[in-house]
Amino acid sequence: MRKLYCLILAILLASMFFMAFSGLQEVDMELSNFYLETGVEETGAINMVTAILFDYRGFDTLGEATVIFAAATIISFLLPKKQTTMLKDDFSLLVHKSIKSVIPIVFILGVYLVVFGHLSPGGGFTGGVILAVIAILWTVVFDLEYSESKLSYSTKSLIEDLGALAFVIIGLFGMIAGSTFLASGQAGFYLGTPGEILSGGAIPYLNMAVGAKVGAGLAIIFNSLIKGE
Amino acid sequence: MASPIWLIILPLITAFGLGIVKIFSKKLLKPFLALSATIHLILVIDVVIRAFEEPMIYSLGGWDRLFAINLVIDPLAAIMALLISVISYLVVIYSLSFIKEDKSKYRVPKYFLLLFLLIAGMLGMVLTGDLFNLYVFFEIAAITSYALVLIYKRDGSLEGTFKYLLAGTLSGVFILVAILLVYLSTGTLNMARIAVKFAEVPGQLKSIILILFLTGFGIKFALVPLHTWMPDVYPEAPAPYNAISSGVGIKASLYAFIRVIYVLFGFDFIANTELTSLLVVWGVITFMVAHLMAYQQKNLKRLFAFSSIAQVGYIIIAVSLATDKGLIAGGFHIVNHALMKGAIFLALGIFIYYFKAETIEDIKGLGRSLPLTSFTFTLAALAMIGLPPFNGFLSKWLIIEAALESGYTVAAFFIPVGSLLSLVYYLRVLQSLYSSGEPKPRVDFKRPRLSLELPAVILGFSCLLLGIFPRLPLDMLGQISHYLLDSSNYINLLLGG
Amino acid sequence: MELTYLVIAILICVGLYAIASKRNLLKIVIGINILESAVIFLFVFSSYRPGGTVPIISGNHELFVDPVPQALALTAIVIGASTTALMLGLVIELYKRYDTLNITEIRKMRG
Repeated sequence: MRKLYCLILAILLASMFFMAFSGLQEVDMELSNFYLETGVEETGAINMVTAILFDYRGFDTLGEATVIFAAATIISFLLPKKQTTMLKDDFSLLVHKSIKSVIPIVFILGVYLVVFGHLSPGGGFTGGVILAVIAILWTVVFDLEYSESKLSYSTKSLIEDLGALAFVIIGLFGMIAGSTFLASGQAGFYLGTPGEILSGGAIPYLNMAVGAKVGAGLAIIFNSLIKGE
Repeated sequence: MASPIWLIILPLITAFGLGIVKIFSKKLLKPFLALSATIHLILVIDVVIRAFEEPMIYSLGGWDRLFAINLVIDPLAAIMALLISVISYLVVIYSLSFIKEDKSKYRVPKYFLLLFLLIAGMLGMVLTGDLFNLYVFFEIAAITSYALVLIYKRDGSLEGTFKYLLAGTLSGVFILVAILLVYLSTGTLNMARIAVKFAEVPGQLKSIILILFLTGFGIKFALVPLHTWMPDVYPEAPAPYNAISSGVGIKASLYAFIRVIYVLFGFDFIANTELTSLLVVWGVITFMVAHLMAYQQKNLKRLFAFSSIAQVGYIIIAVSLATDKGLIAGGFHIVNHALMKGAIFLALGIFIYYFKAETIEDIKGLGRSLPLTSFTFTLAALAMIGLPPFNGFLSKWLIIEAALESGYTVAAFFIPVGSLLSLVYYLRVLQSLYSSGEPKPRVDFKRPRLSLELPAVILGFSCLLLGIFPRLPLDMLGQISHYLLDSSNYINLLLGG
Repeated sequence: MELTYLVIAILICVGLYAIASKRNLLKIVIGINILESAVIFLFVFSSYRPGGTVPIISGNHELFVDPVPQALALTAIVIGASTTALMLGLVIELYKRYDTLNITEIRKMRG
C-alpha cells in the first residue's frame, strides 16, 4: 500500500515537471547570445563553455571547487585510515607491468585536457578526473598501501589546498591589476591570439589550479571510500 | 575600504590555508583562526556601514553588470551579512575551546575548515545577485552543514545526517530545476534582468517555479511538514553548529526565498494571487505543530529544534504579508531569533561540555553550579517565549500588529496562543534548571572558561538590550522594504537605472 | 521535443519513486543519482538548438548550441558527485556500525 502511495506521489510530481517543461516557450537567450558573440574577443578562449566557466562565471567555479574540497575533507575524516584487506593484490605480473606503462599515458592525457581546456573540450574538471584515475589505478591494481606510498594522504591534501589557494590568488591578481576579483581580460591580462596555447588570459592557469585540486580531491575521496577493516 | 568580495573570499582563504598553516606549526592554528575571524568581522562592519549609506554593487570579473555575477548589498543583505558574521564570530571563538581533539588529531582543523566554508557559503547566499550563484553557495552551505553534523562521528549522527542529506539533495534538485526553468523562460541569470523579463512568463509555469522554490527552500528552513530532518539532526550535532545553523543557517535559506519571491515574482504577483493567505496559513500550521511537538520533547536540543521551526513559522507569516510593517517585523524577528537561539545553544553547549547534560532531567541543579551561564540561558529563554521587556516580545508584537493591519485576525490571534504554549515548555526547562539536584561535572570544574561563557553572555544580554533599545535595529530594518516591495528599485540599483 | 521531455519526466518519476519507497540505503542513493541524471539530461537537452554545433568558435560555423546550460550542468554534475560521494561514505560507515543496509532496521536498532 505504501508503495502505491509513493508511486502516486512520484507520478504527480513528475507530471508537474512535465507540465513545466512543455509550458516553456522560445525566448531571446540574451545571456548566451552575448557570450557567443563577444566571448572569443573578450576572453581569448575559443571554447565557450570554458570561457563561461572560468571567466564570465568563474565565481561559480570557485564555489563548485569548494564543494569538492568540503566533500573530500569530511569523507577522509569520516572514514579514517585503516589497514586495508578489502583489495588485496590479486593481479598477475602482466597486469602490474602493463598498468605501470599505461599510467604515464593517462598522466599525459590528463595534463593535455587541463592545459588545452580553453581550446578543445575538456578543462580542469575533466582533466582532474583523469589525473585522479592514476591514483585509483594504483589502489585497484596494486593496493592501498602502494597507492599511499606513491602519493600519501597528506601530499594529496596539500596539493588540494594549494590548488584551491592558487585559484583564489589568481583571482586576486585581477584585483591587483585594478579590476575586480577573477578578472582576466578586463584587467588587461595577455589574451593572445584566440586558438593558440598561450591565450585566454587567466583561464589556462585557473584550469591548472582546478585540475590539481579536483584530481587530488577525487583521489582522496576514492581512497577513503575503498578502505576496509 | 575593503571591497565586499573579501567577505566571501577571506573565509575561503582561511579554510584553504588551514592545511598549510598546520604543516608549519600546530600551535599557530588557533591564533590564525582567531585573527582571521576578527579581521573578517571588522571588514563586514566596514562594508555594512558603507552599504547603509549607499547600496553597493560589485561585479565579478570586471564584466558589465548585465552579464557578470554581481554582489548586491542592499539594506536587507547588509543586515543579514552583519548578523551572520556576528554570530559566526562568536561561534568561532566559542569553538576554539569547545571542540576537543580526537585521536587522529584531525578533528579540530577539519572542523574549522568546514566552519569557515559554511560561513563563506552563507555570506555568498546572502550577497549574491545571480540566481545560479545562489545555488552554488546554497550547496556549499548545505554540504558543510552535513559535514559539521558528522564531526563527532556519533552513531545517531550518521542516521540523522543521512536523512538530512536526502532532504538536502531533494531540495537542491528542486531549486536547480526551478533555476533552469527560470533561465529557459527568461534567457538570463541576473536577478534584476530576470525580474524585468519575468512578467512575460506564462502563469502556469510561474506557479510551478514558485512551488519548486517554496519546497526547495522550505526543506532547508524547515516548514512543516518538510521539517522532519531537523529534530533528528540537532541532538547529534555539536552545540556551536546548532547555534550557527538555527541562528543564521536556516535564515540564509529563508532570505533566499524572500529574495526570490519579492524580486523575481514581485509585489504584484504576491498581491494578485492567494500567495499571502497560503503562506500565512502555512506559517500558523508550522508554529502550532512545532510548539505542540516541542512540548513532548525530553531532549533539550530536540526541543529547541522544534522551537526554531516554530519561529520560522512566525517569520514566514510576517514576510509574506507584503507590507512595510510585515517586512520590518519579520526582519526584526530574524535578528532576534538569531541572538536568542545563539545564546540558548551556546549556553546549552556549556552544560554539555562540563556536565554532559542533554535532557531536561540532566540540567537539574545547574542553576547553582553555573550561575552566569544559567542566567544567560534564562534571559534567552524568556525572550524566546516573548515576554516583555525582551526583544522577542517586541518582534512578536510587531508581527501581530502587521497581521491585524492586513486583516489576518485569526493568524494574529494564534500568535499569543503559540507564545502561551512555548511558555509552558520553556518554564518546564527553567524549573528543572533551578530545582535542586546534584549534577556531576565530568572534569575538575571550578568555573567555565571565559571563551566559552563570554559569547553566550554577549548574545544573551543583547536580547535584553535590543528589547530596551530597539531604535537602532528598527531604523536599519526600516530601509529594507524599499528594495523588496518595489522590485523596480532593485532593478535600478543592479542595472544602474 | 515533447517526447524528450516525457523521457526526462519518467526518469524523474523513477528516481522519486526509488527514494520514497525503497528501504535499502544503496537503492536510495541510486534513486538520487537517477534524479540528478534526469536533471542533467534536462540541462543538456535544453542547450540544444537545431543545426547547432559545439560552442568552440573556430572555422566557419555560424550556429552553436547554448553554452550556458552546459557550463551550469558541469557545476551541477560536480555538486551531485560530491553529495553522492558523501552519501556513499555515510552508507559504508552505517553498514560498519549496524551490519545492515535496511533503513527500518537501523532505526529500530537505534530505538
